Amino acid sequence: MSDTFDAGAWPPEDHDDLTAAEYVLGVLPHRERQAAQERAELDGGFSRRVSQWEGRLAVLNAAYEDGPVNAAVYPRIESDLFGAPQAAAAPARRVPAWRLWLSGGVVAATVVLAVIFWPQTEPPLSAQLTGEAVAFNASFDGAVLQIARAGDAADADHDYELWAIGADGVPRSLGLLRGESAQIAASDLEPGVTLAVSLEPLGGAPDGSPTGPVLAAAALAVN
Amino acid sequence: MPDDIIGSLLQRTATQDRSAFQQLYSETAPKLSGVLFRILGNRTEVDDAMQEVYIRVWQRAAQYRPDRGQGISWLIAVTRNHALDRLRARPERAGMRQEVARDEDGQDPLDRIADPTAGVEAGLVAKGEARRVVNCFDELEEDRAAAVKGAYVQGLSYQDLAERHGVPLNTMRTWLRRGLLRLRECMDR
Repeated sequence: MSDTFDAGAWPPEDHDDLTAAEYVLGVLPHRERQAAQERAELDGGFSRRVSQWEGRLAVLNAAYEDGPVNAAVYPRIESDLFGAPQAAAAPARRVPAWRLWLSGGVVAATVVLAVIFWPQTEPPLSAQLTGEAVAFNASFDGAVLQIARAGDAADADHDYELWAIGADGVPRSLGLLRGESAQIAASDLEPGVTLAVSLEPLGGAPDGSPTGPVLAAAALAVN
Repeated sequence: MPDDIIGSLLQRTATQDRSAFQQLYSETAPKLSGVLFRILGNRTEVDDAMQEVYIRVWQRAAQYRPDRGQGISWLIAVTRNHALDRLRARPERAGMRQEVARDEDGQDPLDRIADPTAGVEAGLVAKGEARRVVNCFDELEEDRAAAVKGAYVQGLSYQDLAERHGVPLNTMRTWLRRGLLRLRECMDR
């Protein structure tokens, strides 16, 4: 930064407190921010000043509205912290850990979560995804997406991957469809969201966006 | 004040109680996702950040001190810190507010507190306390109050604020520091 700030212009007793306030506000540039952070970890007095400012400014937290929650995130957290329960079941395939969330224990946990999240009054939704060689029948009860396949499974080198495409037009993976049917915990599906199944390399689209042909797609609608 | 449910879930999480952690997630994920969205403004990054924030929460839950504030405030502090670390670590220019439109929603955070329909939020801070704090913001010059709120809520840096208010960076910093001292003086009164 080209201009220098004369910290000495402030009364010394205020200097630390203002730095703590600036740290809490978040206005400091990267290096100063890191310095303040380290100090908060080492210096109890400074850490107390930080807490006090957090308290003073906490009223502004009301400005934050709730944001969407991606149902794929919690299983990733659990798997990072506690290990993927059945990661050993697919040793050869190297499926990324978060894609294994369809496995039993995690599904149960996630379904419970999704049920807690979802207002109970939502009407059930469904979609018939009909493709040339394969079709999927999907229904969503506000917490769990049930999806059943009619037609052949993907060949040994490929996987079917299910995507949800909302108003922003960005496909979001709901996971791989390997069996004849699957139950997927989901919290943010609504009427008009398009479900699509694409053919992907084994293990799914490598970078989180679909790469293969879309085999079938349909929008969720109220039954 | 009603029992602080989030605070007690945090204390149970600190004892490695996984079911408490799971419940904590389900109670707070939408709020923390909202914080990350507001500061980072990028869906992919929000998912990654959510993951890191909750891992940090699991690891640091024991640092939560009920006597220093409500559980949700502690969680939001952890979340803001993480988001700001990410934002400030971006290359200098990229750290600027990219989506101006999102900044200009014109919503004053304090309006939401004054609004009785925002009752859900009232739990964040005790009501009388909130009123007092709002009054302290009212005592500030309008543009200084706006700078403090913009910095806190959206993660604007001194650089961002200086450009937005059309003043040199040093002037901005002097303004803001004076505003902070006035706020402290008023709130601690």
